[in-house]
Amino acid sequence: MKNYEKFVLPAFIAVMAVLPHLLNERWQAVAITFLIFSVVALSQDIILGKSGMFNMGQALFFGMGAYTTAILNNEYGWSIVSTIPLAILIPAIFGILLAGPIVHLRGDYLLVVTIGFNIVFVQVLQNNLGGVTGGPNGIFGLDSLSIFGYDLMNQVAVYYFAFIVLLLTLWIMSNLEKSKPGRALHYLREDQLAAESIGINTRVYKIFAFGLGAGIAGLAGTVFAVQYSAVSPEAFEFIQSVLFFSIVLVGGSSIPGVMLGVFVMFVVPEIFREFATWRYFIFGFAMIAAMILRPRGIVPATFGKIPKFLIKGGSHGA
Amino acid sequence: MDIFLQQLANGLTIGSMFALVALGYTMVYGVMKLINFAHGDMVAASAFVGLTIYTQVMGQATSLAAVIAIFLLSALSMAVIGVILERVAYRPLRSAPRLSAVVSALGASLVIQNGIMLIWGPRMRIFPELVPQVYWDLGGVVISLIQVIILVLSLILMLGLYLFVEKTRMGAAVRAASIDQDAARLMGVNVNNIIALIFIIGSSLGAVGGLFIGLYYRGITFNMGWQYGLYAFIAAILGGIGNIPGAMLGGMLLGLFNAFIAGYVSSTWADAFTFILLILILIVRPTGILGERVAEKV
Repeated sequence: MKNYEKFVLPAFIAVMAVLPHLLNERWQAVAITFLIFSVVALSQDIILGKSGMFNMGQALFFGMGAYTTAILNNEYGWSIVSTIPLAILIPAIFGILLAGPIVHLRGDYLLVVTIGFNIVFVQVLQNNLGGVTGGPNGIFGLDSLSIFGYDLMNQVAVYYFAFIVLLLTLWIMSNLEKSKPGRALHYLREDQLAAESIGINTRVYKIFAFGLGAGIAGLAGTVFAVQYSAVSPEAFEFIQSVLFFSIVLVGGSSIPGVMLGVFVMFVVPEIFREFATWRYFIFGFAMIAAMILRPRGIVPATFGKIPKFLIKGGSHGA
Repeated sequence: MDIFLQQLANGLTIGSMFALVALGYTMVYGVMKLINFAHGDMVAASAFVGLTIYTQVMGQATSLAAVIAIFLLSALSMAVIGVILERVAYRPLRSAPRLSAVVSALGASLVIQNGIMLIWGPRMRIFPELVPQVYWDLGGVVISLIQVIILVLSLILMLGLYLFVEKTRMGAAVRAASIDQDAARLMGVNVNNIIALIFIIGSSLGAVGGLFIGLYYRGITFNMGWQYGLYAFIAAILGGIGNIPGAMLGGMLLGLFNAFIAGYVSSTWADAFTFILLILILIVRPTGILGERVAEKV
């Protein structure tokens, strides 16, 4: 773990920072997709991996952010950048409101209800509720990213936008590991009853995790809308949630594991395009094999950032 | 009133298909505490296997014997796949964390779903007309022979399963394993065999459900398993998961609910209403309608 923090992560960030200049247009687009889906998968990790809540509806919050940006830009003429606060806030508020009545549910029930939220959301989009979602075709022809009057049309700008969002997410996640809410979520995941008995308000922290995960996914949605300058319902279907769910668990809910999962799920198929129809067939087998061989994921998460003054005898710093 | 009676008939038909599929979910969940995500895809696979048996093996015959043979062969092949699935994807994970088994189930689901796509192609296929198109007009309410067959056959199968589980020694072993696996093992129940048996029964009932879906809706697609599977799973939760009569009741209620939504509101909102119903039920009564037995685990 020390190695990872000292060398692997900075090296990865350095490579990602110069990457777009080494790639042609097609691979730049793939790299942007990788960044966006990494952010969504990490946001899913906050809810599923870090807090242990079986959420299988993360595409809902991702889509809500994307649609917030698209609707505000297309219908109301807001610039892309000015939609960002609402694209974070609206999914976060929905995450809190939706989680409120259901966080007490046992694992599998929570799973089915979050699937339900995702399906209801897609159906609302397809039925064009309120006349602003564009129905099955979605919304297209969004403005390009512009900051201080500079039009950032090219893909490299979108790449750096996505990259900044990823860095922000990584920063939030590393803070989460070191902070009180992060520790609370960790205890909560390990043993809810024990967490409650030492005075952690589990309900509040569960809802907090949903809100945080939803907000980050919403921000990723904005980047997604900018990349394609369009949004449509099928990008946020329940199958996407299933993929994010699987990525987190197969990866092991650690940052390198989750990113590896995103790479295998979304970048590798671009390399082997001739196997496109075999993609999910092979992934299915890979998921079964991965779980049998490594039930805790490829790179299992460790929780090692408990401050020194809290550790007596050093037995906790796993 | 006509709409009401018509949707009542349709709802009972759809409901009995949901119920047949829901039984597979609820029995597996009862014993293994696992959502078998691959079950819905096996339902879909059954319809495709039935289609191929009809065209390749039966030479497109629609005699009664041929139809019965199609049903038996499809059910048999799904039972075999179900046992293999349990052996390969679920048994190694019995002592692993819960979520690992869920991911394995999702993986199995992707394998079966995309296996169907690789074998039969991504386009919609038309299921053969195994049952003659006979309709009866009962004073404005139209009922087809297919609907009657689906309803009657489902009820017979469900009654058979109920009697098996409640009245036989083996059924008692199934119930024991679903209450407490370890205690059942101490009482001399071979839990591995019971789990295999559950997969055989659940998969064959699901296979019959898949053929019914083919007969009733005609168009079958490789990814239809998730849609019907999800509905059937909701039916199982409505009735109280792990509870066999509950799955039957839940299936019927969900079928009726869906039919009435389609009849009185709009079929484009059916999914949304179904999930809103589910969410409300889980908030008010998380153990389902008949699910008192699992109450302490919620």
